[in-house]
Amino acid sequence: MCGIIGITGDKEGMVSRLMAGLTKMEYRGYDSAGVCISHPEGLDVKRSEGVLDNLKETVTDMKDGTCGIAHTRWATHGPPTEENAHPHCDPQFRVAVVHNGIIENEVQLRQILIEATHNDCFQSETDTELVAHVLAQELDAECGDVVPDDEQLLAAWRRSLDRFDGSFSLAAVVKGRSDVILVARSFSPLILAHNGAGFLASDVSCLVGMAKEVCFIEDGDWGLLHKDRMELFDSEGNPVSRESTKLQWNEEDAELGGWPTFMLKEINEQPAVVRACLQGRLTREALRGVKIPYKPDLVRIIACGTAFHAGMMARHYIEELSGIPCIVDHAHEFRYGTPAGPKALVLGVSQSGETADTLAGLMTAQERGYPTLSIVNVETSTIARQSDAILGIRAGPEIGVASTKAFTGQVLGGLLVALRLGRLTNKVHTEELAVISNAARRFPNAMERLLASTQLEQGLKRARRLFHDKNHAFFLGRNSSYPIALEGALKLKEISYIHAEGYAGGELKHGPLALIEDGTPVVVISSEGIIQQKLFGNAREVSARGARVIMIAVEGDEEAAAHADVVITVPKTHPLLQPIMHNVVCQLLSYYVAMDRDCNVDRPRNLAKSVTVE
Amino acid sequence: MKAIVLAAGRGSRLGGLTDSRSKVMLPVAGRPIIEWMLSELADAGVKEATIVHGYAGSRILTNLGSGKGVGLKLKFVEQTSPHGSLGAALDALSAMSLDEDVLIFNGDNIVSSSAIKRLIQSESASLLVAEHENPQEYGVVTLNGDVIEEIQEKPALHEAVGRVVSTGALRCPVLWRETFEKTVKTGLTGIPDAIRNLLEEDVEIKAIRTDTWVDVDHPWDLIDMNTILLHRVNSSISPAAEIHPSAVLSGNVHISEGCIIRPGTVIEGPVHIGPNCDIGPMAVVTGSTTIAAGTRIGPFCRIRSSFLMEDVQVDSGSWLQRSVIGPATVLRSHINVDVGETQKIGTSGEIHVRRLGLVTGEACTLGHGVVTAPGTILGSQVVVERRSRVSGEHPSGAEISSGGV
Repeated sequence: MCGIIGITGDKEGMVSRLMAGLTKMEYRGYDSAGVCISHPEGLDVKRSEGVLDNLKETVTDMKDGTCGIAHTRWATHGPPTEENAHPHCDPQFRVAVVHNGIIENEVQLRQILIEATHNDCFQSETDTELVAHVLAQELDAECGDVVPDDEQLLAAWRRSLDRFDGSFSLAAVVKGRSDVILVARSFSPLILAHNGAGFLASDVSCLVGMAKEVCFIEDGDWGLLHKDRMELFDSEGNPVSRESTKLQWNEEDAELGGWPTFMLKEINEQPAVVRACLQGRLTREALRGVKIPYKPDLVRIIACGTAFHAGMMARHYIEELSGIPCIVDHAHEFRYGTPAGPKALVLGVSQSGETADTLAGLMTAQERGYPTLSIVNVETSTIARQSDAILGIRAGPEIGVASTKAFTGQVLGGLLVALRLGRLTNKVHTEELAVISNAARRFPNAMERLLASTQLEQGLKRARRLFHDKNHAFFLGRNSSYPIALEGALKLKEISYIHAEGYAGGELKHGPLALIEDGTPVVVISSEGIIQQKLFGNAREVSARGARVIMIAVEGDEEAAAHADVVITVPKTHPLLQPIMHNVVCQLLSYYVAMDRDCNVDRPRNLAKSVTVE
Repeated sequence: MKAIVLAAGRGSRLGGLTDSRSKVMLPVAGRPIIEWMLSELADAGVKEATIVHGYAGSRILTNLGSGKGVGLKLKFVEQTSPHGSLGAALDALSAMSLDEDVLIFNGDNIVSSSAIKRLIQSESASLLVAEHENPQEYGVVTLNGDVIEEIQEKPALHEAVGRVVSTGALRCPVLWRETFEKTVKTGLTGIPDAIRNLLEEDVEIKAIRTDTWVDVDHPWDLIDMNTILLHRVNSSISPAAEIHPSAVLSGNVHISEGCIIRPGTVIEGPVHIGPNCDIGPMAVVTGSTTIAAGTRIGPFCRIRSSFLMEDVQVDSGSWLQRSVIGPATVLRSHINVDVGETQKIGTSGEIHVRRLGLVTGEACTLGHGVVTAPGTILGSQVVVERRSRVSGEHPSGAEISSGGV
């Protein structure tokens, strides 16, 4: 949530480079945006409410400078207005600050500042403005009106940071010092880089194309970013240097190309994601690469949102393939809940690897002495670095706010963990592994056939019409298709704003059936064998009460048509992989329903991509 | 000069091979056909191309991105008009702002950069022409010096007045758009139809000859295209490939990242092996062969002059030559592909194919010990039971049991 970027060095194209960085980070928040250019004579701040395009109009006549910071906001404190947009300044416009995260002792600080200055001089309701005020105060105490040197900047910055509690990544510029940016990181992500100039950003994807190597600074680190070097200190004030790593992605991966939206692009990338994710991993030897220190008695999976549904799929795989019991928790529930149990393995799932609650949950688990393994997409993320071991899903940058290809990768990651555990418990034999491996080799092609099929296109055309003017929808699944029902419902509500709920078919008569009205769309995600018959029963029950049933079935399932208004079939594949195929149809259905409602699928209202605050 | 690349058609004469992608996306010699074409455009100095996509267009968008890989600025237009290649060209023309002539190419065949340069330098409306051994499958061009007099579309053999045919590559003045629109209104949908109308209006169109035109119409053409394009592939072994010291590589051999070449395997170029393939032990792969990404070739296999697409699995001891194997196809152990002469039905009569083995569509499964007769062509998801003999052509989804046909 919220994205910050800063550049110090070359004057050439400063404003447009900052705007390009913001564009790549807009998915982190799009309530408001702002930019500050530091000129030798003073700070030039431009801000605007709403999406980035509004700001683009405002900055057309802005003068380039040698140093600048910018911000795109997902509102936590105060509504998304121009006043609350970053950067924030002190009343004398001596400093400008951008911030991602939350200052937790905001109320006390505000009180102290009001008492000290005897007037309420705050322009905004944000916690960030406090940072500007405090820093200005400390600078005043350090050097009065004189332009501070490096030493004075660092002293004032350190004393300011000592006064803040909470999670934040901060960047600040100071009047007269248009050569340097003050930086600090506490729990929120912050990345530094040098490539002819000094760069800082919340997110790797923002720096793709600007830098080749990036430096992940650690929690508690703070200091100065110069155009050619960084001067960093740890929370104790000791000078530290942090190593750089090569960027995992190239620029083109994060661009739209000929696609209308990132979401559609990413849905269509899934065959390639499956290939990349499973490549070289489905052999006896390769599975040993999934680092699990012992045979656990219990697996506890923690995740949020779409990753939570991927976690539910992982649980299905783990219990089926290894026989080890497994509990899936929302990360925010887990961290305040009970201990993990004897000899447990804690498995975290997060696309960005920056999800605040999942990170906190994993750290809680580590404190309790449990080994942690994380399924992540961004292999250089905080979660990846904090976990004892990681499994990268190799999905490439996911820009669309509603997760699609990362879900597929996470589910496959869960499958790999389950196979590894199954090897540890001697439940998965070499022959079975070969069967799964051969099925996996054919799987991407089957998905490609699905994506190119006219049957799918026509089925979706008919299915999306059933959502016209509807405010509620249901998704039903059972067993391995139950998590897909939940994920299908989440995707639909995220991007189309239709209220949607996923249920296990067996729950229907325990309440939800009361909500079925004439014309309510119900998506039934088929499963196998006896379960399939029970789902047909559920389909009959809802359609008897007026629901319009959309059945996602396997090719050759002759019976499905008898129980549905619209049937969309998918190629048959290995039962373990089949739910992933069904999910592609759910993704596309949500996508087109949202398009019919003129929703912005890449930037759904109120949401942001990486949830980096609790 | 800007270019339009037509890539909206399926390529239905290729059967199951175009089930999930259009013809332009077949990865011949390691790259989709359209990428070869676009690279030639870039080499000829073209900076920007508009690609018209339609059937399975998402594969094109996913693969080409914004065009950095081919060195062009790419724009994409989805064909909305139902009127064939002419409709596609019109869709592109209305999406572009043009103040000079534009080049039009088919994305499914390859003309050389030098030929493209000559089109650019010709300074007038021109059509690229080439000699072909089966002229009756194309638009046969009658020339008067270097000016085109007449085009006969797919004439019967006895009518064919020469071997010079239109490649479809065209330098098109902006004004032609009107004729294109008029032609569509009369119910005709091909660019050759519009060109015939232009000729009737006495518009002068120059012919520019090329002898480096590579086209694919029928599945067996892929084998020739593969052979030709493999000569353009440079030898290179990815440092991220694992090659056993006892493997023998000779000639032009390209091995991509993530490949495992197991002990005793012999690879004689020209051979292109895509990423993440696993070959051997003791397999023999000889030129001209393309093995696309993710393919597994088991022990003691012998693969020659063939085109294997993505994620194919060939178990031990299978012999394969002059064949095209669709993606995700499984060939079990000890499969024998016979090669020989065969007669095939083209669009206008019989075509003699000199040497052809097996062609399969997507995700076929051939059981242990299957023997295929020369020129066997299978659709997609065909299942052939173990030890069957199979010949002729079989549609998608067919199940062929012992004894075969």
